[in-house]
Amino acid sequence: MSRGIVVGYDGSECAKSALHAAAEVARTYSEPLTIAFAYEVSPVGGELHDYHLALKDLATRRLNEAKELTAGAPGQIDTTIVERAPAEGLAELADELDARVIVVGTRGESALRGALLGSTSHKLLHLSRRPVLVVPIDYE
Amino acid sequence: MDSVTLDQPSSGIQVEDKGLKKNAISFVSNIVIGVASTAPAYSLAATLGYIAAVSGLGLQSPAVLLVCFFPMAAIAAAYYYMNRADPDCGTTFTWMTRAMGPWLGWQGGWAIVVADVLVMPSLASVAGIYTCSLVGVNNPSTLAVTIIGIAWIVIMTVICYIGIEISATTQRFLLGMEFGTLVIFAVVALIKVYASHPAHSIEPTLAWFNPFAVTSFSALDGGILLAVFVYWGWDSGVTVNEETEDSSTAPGRAAIVSTFVLVGIYLLVATAAQAFGGVMSLAAHPNDVLAPLGNGVLGSPLDKLLIIAVLSSASASTQTTILPTARTTLSMARMKAIPKQFGNIHPRFLSPGFSTIWMGVVSTFVYVLLSATSPVNLIGDAFTSLALTIAFYYGFTGFACVIFYRRELLKSARNFLYIGVLPFFGGAVLTWVLIKAVLVYSKPHAGFAKPFLGIGSPIAIAILMIIIGLVLMIVQRITMPEYFQRRLEVVDPSVLADAPAGRAS
Repeated sequence: MSRGIVVGYDGSECAKSALHAAAEVARTYSEPLTIAFAYEVSPVGGELHDYHLALKDLATRRLNEAKELTAGAPGQIDTTIVERAPAEGLAELADELDARVIVVGTRGESALRGALLGSTSHKLLHLSRRPVLVVPIDYE
Repeated sequence: MDSVTLDQPSSGIQVEDKGLKKNAISFVSNIVIGVASTAPAYSLAATLGYIAAVSGLGLQSPAVLLVCFFPMAAIAAAYYYMNRADPDCGTTFTWMTRAMGPWLGWQGGWAIVVADVLVMPSLASVAGIYTCSLVGVNNPSTLAVTIIGIAWIVIMTVICYIGIEISATTQRFLLGMEFGTLVIFAVVALIKVYASHPAHSIEPTLAWFNPFAVTSFSALDGGILLAVFVYWGWDSGVTVNEETEDSSTAPGRAAIVSTFVLVGIYLLVATAAQAFGGVMSLAAHPNDVLAPLGNGVLGSPLDKLLIIAVLSSASASTQTTILPTARTTLSMARMKAIPKQFGNIHPRFLSPGFSTIWMGVVSTFVYVLLSATSPVNLIGDAFTSLALTIAFYYGFTGFACVIFYRRELLKSARNFLYIGVLPFFGGAVLTWVLIKAVLVYSKPHAGFAKPFLGIGSPIAIAILMIIIGLVLMIVQRITMPEYFQRRLEVVDPSVLADAPAGRAS
């Protein structure tokens, strides 16, 4: 069984670049591609059912978008929602699928800005037990 | 976070709602959330002085904290059962809408928003005053407090907007520190009272805990109204309780435990503070009771610990004020009760971005407005009307539960007691407190500030908020009528039947 490629996708421009690169890698090596949208709902702050649904709606819309973007690509393409903080979630999904590589985009922000606002790619590099492919935002 | 969840990858997109059960959180985390959301150190710092200042209450502040526990525990039952039937982050808004119709439901949602907006000036000024105490400035100017307070609101709003959440471990640590400091403070204060009898100190007696020792009825009522505030927030613990890791855990056990933890710490600290400083010292500085006491009890530099505990508690409280408000307005927007922008999720931070920013802006505006009226203590009056608002929506949540479950009440003695009697009792007590308080506070000189048009300022603020709410609701009715055509609903009987084994006990 082939092991596949995991790509994190949130609909941003850099995620589109990452998706593009991931599809290319999947095609080149004839690997199945799994597109994942990850989020975490924190129980802090009380009731969260509706908020959770709103996030799920958003995730579903984004993943549909990703499916459209990759329509016509050969090979198997799956989409999945990961309910966990993105970096941890992607690393775990990749482990579970025994993926060859995790692909994420990077916004090209300064290190400080990334540290303040949270940089999934940066966290993932440290967390992942697998190869990570980081795709710059303007990659075509 | 303890939650670990991965959807199995599949060829399709998983959209069906699997609920939050799999997003399980541990029992201890649950207690921590319930207690941290109530923010005990901040609640005491902000409330104790005002309770002590209620004229005619005398030495019975601890009794008031104890009495108020009962209706609040009863309302917790309503929250538990309503959440079970409809786990919605609109809580009172959604539940009142279903049980009592869209008009009352809308007002319930509005009450949550008003309460959260009115608490922000108090939070911000406590944060401002204690920040000054931390660096050794003891009588800061209103301007300094206001500037620090605004910075506080802005920082906390940004944190909620970006979606930085402190981890469960950090939260446990902070809460542990907050608790440890409060207990040390209380124990040291009591030891000093008995050992060295500092000036103004009084030895505690059992009468302090006896509500019947309060000579004036309206004083007891006024005290209870303010005490409602100290318990405000632990509905968070009740409503996330469904997600507890160990599904065989008895219902609401974490909520019950956190309630008792709270009652215990409140009684201990209130008793110690009153014993050490006497009633006058509490009433004299209603905005910052713990800072001056901390210095007397613990001495420098240990008193800074108490200040840090209040600040970290206030920061937790700001977060647990902004987050649920944003989620309530998100829920209202999804039900089409308010414009849909409030339901927007930020594409990058995945927070309810629009609602969060809006909450921060309105809070800052209200805070500046109230501060600008200094030296009259409008923030104190806003605090009183905040208590009125909480009593209103907690009370109505109790009634909504009885109405929503009315067809199930007579099916078992257990249903009758927990879903009927308790919530009704809580609702009735809070409504009674509310009505009495309106009568008391509407007298011209009941507030700290000057009366408006002959009405006491706490009630004037409440009336202003009701009028704004009615106007906004009518605008909504005209522009987005769909929500207002909703019909009343009753609970689906399977909600009770479906209870997993162990939960029905």
